[in-house]
Amino acid sequence: MNESVLVIGGGPAGLRAAADLADLGTSVVLVERRNELGGAPIRWKYKTLAPELRPTEEVMDPMIAAVESHPLVKVYRDSVVERVSRAAGNFHITLRTNGAGAREIPVRAIVAATGFEHFDASRDPRYEYGRAANVIGIHELEGMLKESRVVCKDGRKPKRIAFIFCVGSRDRATNPWCCTVCCGVSIKQGIELKRLLGDVEIYNIYIDIRTFGLWEQLYWTSMEEYGLNFIRGRVSQIYDTGTQLLVKGEDTLVRGPFEVLMDMVVLAVGIAPGEGTAQAAKVLDLNCNSFGFLQPRHPNVHYDSGKEGVFLAGACVAPMSIEEAILAGSAAAMQAAKFVREPALQGAAD
Amino acid sequence: MADARAKAEETGRFIVERQYVDDRRIHEPKKLDAGGIDISGRWGVLIEPRTITTFDHTLMRQVQRESGGEFIHRCFQCGNCTAACPTAEEHPMFNPRYFIHVVRMGYSAELENVRKYVYLCASCGRCTEACPREVDPSGVMAAIGTVVRKLS
Repeated sequence: MNESVLVIGGGPAGLRAAADLADLGTSVVLVERRNELGGAPIRWKYKTLAPELRPTEEVMDPMIAAVESHPLVKVYRDSVVERVSRAAGNFHITLRTNGAGAREIPVRAIVAATGFEHFDASRDPRYEYGRAANVIGIHELEGMLKESRVVCKDGRKPKRIAFIFCVGSRDRATNPWCCTVCCGVSIKQGIELKRLLGDVEIYNIYIDIRTFGLWEQLYWTSMEEYGLNFIRGRVSQIYDTGTQLLVKGEDTLVRGPFEVLMDMVVLAVGIAPGEGTAQAAKVLDLNCNSFGFLQPRHPNVHYDSGKEGVFLAGACVAPMSIEEAILAGSAAAMQAAKFVREPALQGAAD
Repeated sequence: MADARAKAEETGRFIVERQYVDDRRIHEPKKLDAGGIDISGRWGVLIEPRTITTFDHTLMRQVQRESGGEFIHRCFQCGNCTAACPTAEEHPMFNPRYFIHVVRMGYSAELENVRKYVYLCASCGRCTEACPREVDPSGVMAAIGTVVRKLS
């Protein structure tokens, strides 16, 4: 009997799921839409991870190496799952690889770990993203931090940098959910900017600070050791003066409108469902919630897709941190392994 | 006090909702000539916007140098100090949380508006007991008082 599992997505959740399944002796077909493994952390060159500012490679490299070197894992890069059909308890997968055409693969179970996209801030015209040169996203700042070179477009060293929290989050005009991580990531980046640039003032303009769990330590450290500034409010408009950015908002703690010049503005863009998630939902006939994330059968049991033999993992279900995505990948792998070995066990835990 | 009230009534007395505008933001020229046209008095009235145009941390650094004010930068504006403050219960203009933020962000015009209330602090220390981040608001209030005195 065919016992292989298809894992869709090579980010933290998919890599963990693939590595765990292979370690359990299950053969894995790992499909990645892009030409490199690692998902968002690798694609966007995350320098370090919250909350302890440890290098991203410490987490990602071992998982990528495990998957690439494991004899039971077959990796297909530049590939998408085009069609899925069920026959005699198996799934028949049609896989299309860029430049190599289509191939058919039979599998017993599927783990969807299609991840997320950083919110496209050009959808919210208030912030001049894509028009003003020195308005960037937190994902782009990661790459700049990684190169230890954070400068304005004209080469100037920024002296005043504003972070605008909740861009594309908690907003009916764009996305109403909380991305859960951009508070922590922005504060982490503020600390890194202080370390890198020295004499720079960082202004975090926030609605609430949601550094949950142990991430709260970042928030404390950023104020107590690095002197980051926090202003409660929401920015209504950014004006590009040509050399600087005029940031308009309200400091709601003093009921005071402000219009303050900054050298650089970093948008804490949220987590949005990706193209890969929509594709997976279509071919696997999965339900999406009103936000576009994959809908588990029960909101508190993420791995259970409600479809026999199909399991969910990571940020395709809901916004989450890397540590949560890794756990979700491992959990989905366990469910898929149980299903492959003993289909009757599916649902026994519920 | 009576003088100040009389002055306030005098300047900008034609401004609608006059009570919401600080005296210092109203410029009413006694005599102003605009190219042969007399715009003295109410015709030349200018109200400065109350918009904050800069964040300046000089004031905070001054407070940090005074005894008791060292940890002002730890404050995350939860308001526990004000909630615990017996003076704030009685006096609407006395708010330690507010003073800390105004100083932290360098809103000197606003500090000017509320400076006379700084000394209402009874130094009872209840705020310092209540503070979750060990800012020592009682010490900070004393330090702000010292800085305000030095500035005047």
